Amino acid sequence: MSETVEKAFVVASELGLHARPAGEFANLAGRFDAEVEVSRGGEWVSSRSVLSLLSLAASQGTSLQLRAEGPDAAAAIEALGTLIERPELPA
Amino acid sequence: MKIMDILVKDAVILDIESQEKDAVLLELAKRLAAAEPVLDEERLHKVLIEREALQSTGIGDGVAIPHGKLPGLSRLVASFARSKAGVDFQSIDGQKTHLFFLLVVPEHSGGQHLKALARISRFFRDASFRKALEEASSTEDVLRAIEEEDGKF
Repeated sequence: MSETVEKAFVVASELGLHARPAGEFANLAGRFDAEVEVSRGGEWVSSRSVLSLLSLAASQGTSLQLRAEGPDAAAAIEALGTLIERPELPA
Repeated sequence: MKIMDILVKDAVILDIESQEKDAVLLELAKRLAAAEPVLDEERLHKVLIEREALQSTGIGDGVAIPHGKLPGLSRLVASFARSKAGVDFQSIDGQKTHLFFLLVVPEHSGGQHLKALARISRFFRDASFRKALEEASSTEDVLRAIEEEDGKF
């Protein structure tokens, strides 16, 4: 059984989705049995590619759309959405 | 922001000698500091090591973007290096890293930092760009490939 889940999240971190969270995001995405894609309104990119995630230039306040397909779709969206909405204090 | 505007041309390394991660970071820091005297080699090397300790900047597809913040710096500075043999950079996909893009940013440059990372990432997502860098036979070839990509968007 496969389901598709789609939901938008707003980037909370002051620094935006920079390299470290993007790496975390890609790692996390790889743990679910689901294909997750990300978009900021235009092109959909793979959630497992740090290069693609960084190319979105998702700064604080950017709305990111997540779309997941597969048995773990709902869980993947929830986990990845939480990461996007996680505030991060500047190092 | 154009990458050519932040790239320190004299710091480009066509074939990096170092074969392991810390040595690569040192060689990158050394070359960039030599070409850009405003940078202190030791401090630069230290911030790069500290950043890698948090998480490898080896982001897959043979690409790494080592980066760090340096207090006192007034603008973004970048360099490029290539390793023919490849380096174990503990990259996210476990593959060896061949292309290194070093980015040094001022301490409070959140927006600029993110934009530079995004632009560099868009370049490197393009397989034909990666191939052009892998096959470059001179520093001029490298600069030409970057300049061409800069002109696309």
